[in-house]
Amino acid sequence: MNIRHLTLLFSAVALATGASAADGKVPLKVEYPKPLFAGTPRPISLANLEPAGTKRPVIMVSADTKLLSKGKKVTSSDSLPVIGELSFITDGDKTGIDGAYVELGPNTQWVQVDLGASAKVAAVAVWHFHSQARVYHDVIVQISDDPEFKKGVTTIFNNDDDNSSKLGKGSDKSYVETNNGRVFDAKGTAGRYVRLYSNGNTSDELNHYCEIEVFGTAK
Amino acid sequence: MLRWLPLALIAFVALGLRTRDLATRPMHADEANQAVKTGELLDSGHYTYDPRDHHGPTLYYAAAALARLRGERSLAELTETTVRLVPAFFGTAAVILIAALVAGANLPATGSPRWPALAAALFLAVSPPAVYYSRYFVQETLLATFTLAAFVCGQRWWRTGLTRWAVAGGACVGLMQATKASAPLFLLAGVLSLWITRSGLRPATRRPGRDAVAALLAASATAAVLFSSFGTNPSGLRDALAAYVHAAQRFGTDAAPTGHEKPWWYYLRIFGWYREGGLLWYEAPFSLLAIGGMLAAFRGPSRFLRGVAVYAIATTLAFSLFAYKTPWHTVDLVPAFAILAAVALAALTQGRAGRLVAGVAATVVIATLLQQTWRSSFTRPADWRNPFAYVHSSADVLKYRPLAEAALARQPAGPIRIISEEYWPLPWYLRGLPNVGFWSTAPEECDGALIVASAAQAEAVRARLRRKYSETFLGLRPGFVCMIFTPEP
Repeated sequence: MNIRHLTLLFSAVALATGASAADGKVPLKVEYPKPLFAGTPRPISLANLEPAGTKRPVIMVSADTKLLSKGKKVTSSDSLPVIGELSFITDGDKTGIDGAYVELGPNTQWVQVDLGASAKVAAVAVWHFHSQARVYHDVIVQISDDPEFKKGVTTIFNNDDDNSSKLGKGSDKSYVETNNGRVFDAKGTAGRYVRLYSNGNTSDELNHYCEIEVFGTAK
Repeated sequence: MLRWLPLALIAFVALGLRTRDLATRPMHADEANQAVKTGELLDSGHYTYDPRDHHGPTLYYAAAALARLRGERSLAELTETTVRLVPAFFGTAAVILIAALVAGANLPATGSPRWPALAAALFLAVSPPAVYYSRYFVQETLLATFTLAAFVCGQRWWRTGLTRWAVAGGACVGLMQATKASAPLFLLAGVLSLWITRSGLRPATRRPGRDAVAALLAASATAAVLFSSFGTNPSGLRDALAAYVHAAQRFGTDAAPTGHEKPWWYYLRIFGWYREGGLLWYEAPFSLLAIGGMLAAFRGPSRFLRGVAVYAIATTLAFSLFAYKTPWHTVDLVPAFAILAAVALAALTQGRAGRLVAGVAATVVIATLLQQTWRSSFTRPADWRNPFAYVHSSADVLKYRPLAEAALARQPAGPIRIISEEYWPLPWYLRGLPNVGFWSTAPEECDGALIVASAAQAEAVRARLRRKYSETFLGLRPGFVCMIFTPEP
């Protein structure tokens, strides 16, 4: 390599490196705060109750609407729960105390209430677990006349924003569980079976149900 | 060679239980905190003892050495498995040490002198808290192991009179001190046991004073080397003493509650039985055997066993009376309980059909311990009802890094903002990622590639966001929910 080649090379490098400086812009370097070390976190032992005065949602239904799910048969993707029984889900006890909820395994699991006959479903209410502030992931509520949920499926709620449960992406908002549970407006959707999915929660990977209530009118 | 086979098998079981699937359980906030501290040691090559928020240096130096052996040379490369292997190896060593301690005691009237040692080793090998915290990157298992090593050395010195055992014992005491500031409690309990059970007796040496000085020098030198960061941080020696000043301020009568105050029977409940959230937790069969062993120890001729019984009572009382309680202290109680349970088995063999009764008792105790170990360490290791998973991170913490990586892929300049009054173990999970910042309250500028805000900070953060974001939730630990703000396209 002679002097001329070297000069050309240096010129090229100078041009290349000078390009960003020429338009006056350089990458902004920002120092962000480093984490502070801290001691063992404290246990949280507050009851997760809705603050006093919190407005509960009002769903307008026809006057002859009644509770259809009480004592009805419940099936699940986890047919042998380690804690509790599937019958707890429709037994009317929504206290959430030990012995009043059923615990299903990790990952996406479903429970299904068989209303016994097709009905016009006005609303579905669910209490997952409310003795601790937690949010259940991928809560999906569907109604169908097909016990396999392969055809004629209407989804009335879906907050699976990343489609991690592979049932379609949902745009409904996640919510923190409280003693008020959650009531979903079914808008009179017809069906015999109501299926609820969830995929763990913010406290653990498991899925819980204290109670499900399905309101509607016989068809 | 065959003589060592039973102990080798027990040690193999202990190692297996302590090293299986180490990376699966989410990192606890304390583990993450200490792993990041280890990573900083790897990154900078330097460690400075911090008497305010951290225990002693042994854990970090041991983990850094193991990390280098495994080819991990920075915080970004450090893994859960590497850091948790440290207590796993020490926990396995404890199983061998307890056998050495019991075998060295020359227990009378137990048939073979070896099997009580093996029984104690087996009880410790499968003990739920011993297994759980041997898979948990905190100091407690190291402290328990150094304590056992100190007692083994002390026992050997007492019997042989050899100064080298005094020096080795002193070095172990130095390691205890360099592990956790609570080390003197165990030494005091040991001295109390010695005083009550061996008054009037003398060790084999003719120069106990000289050996005591040698042990003290060894302890001081070992602790000094570690606290001073191998001589590079002399103020670490002063800070080692300052730890007690901080402890007095933190736990003194005028101090604010730490949030970890619990009733006096907290540890007894863990060793007894109770139901939490539909799950039954118990170690009652093991504890009953240990209580039987305690009674047999006080009635029997062995000074060693009486000493163990006094030690067990003293340490249990001390931990129970102190208001600050965390479940990892159970690790310090298990070795004495395991020896006493082994003694009870030995006593059972003395009666009619004794061997059969002892065999049934041993089978029941080991089976129940194994069942509880399996549940606590493998099937529900982070469950909020698990007595050892104390304020444990939830499985959701594993989802933060993929979210952050996706956010940086969309917006490489970031920043990723973690705005929360509590955020551990997230610094561990986000290690090595650029443009990540941590705030305890909402800063003026909140926009970013991804914002994680605690429920308490979410409103303030939302009010300061200028762009449009989608919102969802992720957990940090049971009862602590964070809101995730992701920029909308």
